[in-house]
Amino acid sequence: MESTHNAAAPEEQFAVQCRGVTKSYGTGDARVLALRGIDLDVRPGELLMLVGPSGCGKTTLISVITAILSQDSGNCEVLGRDLQAMNKKERTRFRGSSIGFVFQFFNLLPALNALENVSVPLLINGQSRGSAETRAREVLAEVDLGTRLRSLPAQLSGGQQQRVAISRALVHDPKLIVCDEPTSNLDHDTGRSVMTILRGIAKSPGRALIVVTHDPRIFEFADRIAHMDDGKIIDVVDGKNRERTQ
Amino acid sequence: MLRLALKMLMGDRAKYAGLIFGITFTSFLVTFAFSYFCGFMTRGFALIAENPVANVWVMDPAVESPEQTINLPDSALNRVRSIEGVNAAWPLALSTAVARFPNGRFQPFQVICADDATLAGVPALKDGASPAMLRAPDAVIVDPGGTDGKLETPILKSDQWPSGEPHLNAPTRELAVGDELLINDRRVLIRARSDALPRYPPLPLLYTTFPNCARILLPEPHLLTFVLATAAPGVFPSDLAARIHDRTGLKARSSEDFKADTVRWFLINSEDVGDIAAMLSLAMSVGFGVTGVMLYMFTNESLKQYAVLKAMGASSRLLLTMILAQAGLCALLGTGLGLGLCGIVGQLAIDQANYPFRMMWFTPVVGAVMVLLVSLVAAAISARPVLKLEPGVVFAGR
Repeated sequence: MESTHNAAAPEEQFAVQCRGVTKSYGTGDARVLALRGIDLDVRPGELLMLVGPSGCGKTTLISVITAILSQDSGNCEVLGRDLQAMNKKERTRFRGSSIGFVFQFFNLLPALNALENVSVPLLINGQSRGSAETRAREVLAEVDLGTRLRSLPAQLSGGQQQRVAISRALVHDPKLIVCDEPTSNLDHDTGRSVMTILRGIAKSPGRALIVVTHDPRIFEFADRIAHMDDGKIIDVVDGKNRERTQ
Repeated sequence: MLRLALKMLMGDRAKYAGLIFGITFTSFLVTFAFSYFCGFMTRGFALIAENPVANVWVMDPAVESPEQTINLPDSALNRVRSIEGVNAAWPLALSTAVARFPNGRFQPFQVICADDATLAGVPALKDGASPAMLRAPDAVIVDPGGTDGKLETPILKSDQWPSGEPHLNAPTRELAVGDELLINDRRVLIRARSDALPRYPPLPLLYTTFPNCARILLPEPHLLTFVLATAAPGVFPSDLAARIHDRTGLKARSSEDFKADTVRWFLINSEDVGDIAAMLSLAMSVGFGVTGVMLYMFTNESLKQYAVLKAMGASSRLLLTMILAQAGLCALLGTGLGLGLCGIVGQLAIDQANYPFRMMWFTPVVGAVMVLLVSLVAAAISARPVLKLEPGVVFAGR
């Protein structure tokens, strides 16, 4: 198996640590091997970009890391929890409390205003409406949307929508945030401003970001860039000087 | 989250309005159809309802409804009167006769012969007429009995009882007090018009007394169809009916039981009722189909939103609760609007067209329960893809 993870000190804690993760879809002749033995580490405070051509397994990998899919084999520990050891209910609860999501198409709920959209993760975690909205208000203010609390997604620009989506990903203070093509629907300047926010988030203590992207313009924001192809991580490079890190 | 679920529902105004409209339509259709059916059945036992004083109806053992009767021996009246617990008893006879109008046209009537002593069984009369005028020879009261345009007589005197050819196409007006009809070659004089309950099946009614009946009807061995009785104070009608049956061998039923028997008889014997029931079932099925499909489509079109919630950690139970809350709200609103609409349209139909509509206490209840049930079943069915949904579909690569 190809080893693409960093050589880590034995006592080092990882936000994500995958070893030999495989995942396939279908059965028999229709079986497709989407992940072919993935080794990946993501450290707290790190922004890791996952890049590669369509169909290379990026989405499957983040689905496994976020406990949406179960791997077929291998081990995947996220925030110190072994995902394979959790049942479906525990995975759902873990996802709700510990992981934040930012999607390509923002995926805000169109009928809810910005404040309500950002409150959703807290409400899912059982918080009261009042405390959820207080916290959501604070987070929206941090991304300069304190004046657009009652705006519906359709009344916001693409950049504003993505900032609402980022607020939603942050509101419950998750330790891992997964962003799926966060800038692909944004113009260059807006994309950069969104990445600046995400970069700042990654620097928060104990928090890690995984960003799936095709957009080379934002590679400079990465601490490391993992290149995937055909279900494998073929290369991990430093985000700044693009040197191989393993 | 339930509040947000309802906001999600109402956020898409067009779909929300469509859903409410669909359920309102179903609720209206089901309740109206059911009330229409009840209206028919109520008209089926109009004769019983028209004699509210009578607690017990006594009849030939083979009779099951006022629709199909055979007469009793004349002695039955005295036999019933002699039974302990009977406060009063009086006769009532039903027959049919074909009446000829003055222009030569004819029309079958149900003839109702009332006791000439008490005139019990004569309905409320129009224009303040007194039932006592029925005691005059050949006096009758006519009533459309739920029909429309069947009681017409020529406007011109010259078209009435012509000596030559009948004047079938002469202009007509509604029968009025003072007009004459010919029954079995005997002239009868209309002394009043009544406000009797409409009948099912609709048939013009002709009320008169027993002596007049005996004069105008073809000779029959007996002219007694029912003996109507009131129970003495403290005696239950059903107990009295059982006692009358035991002592006389005749069939005796309390009014309420006889109404129920009549409904059952129509359900079993009337092909029209079967057709109506089939039509109503079809209408209800269409309504339920509309509701189910609309609810299903609404949830299905929101799958992506549910996938987002699922990815963010919403449990299947929470999502199911949200879907049921949305369906429940739509069902409640739609049912309420449908019932209100049904009441208004039903009342208009009664007022304007004398429509057989009767919204009894259980019709809205049954309608509401059925619509709620269908909504919840549709919600449960539409929840299945949500529960099976793989939240990974929210990622761009999927």
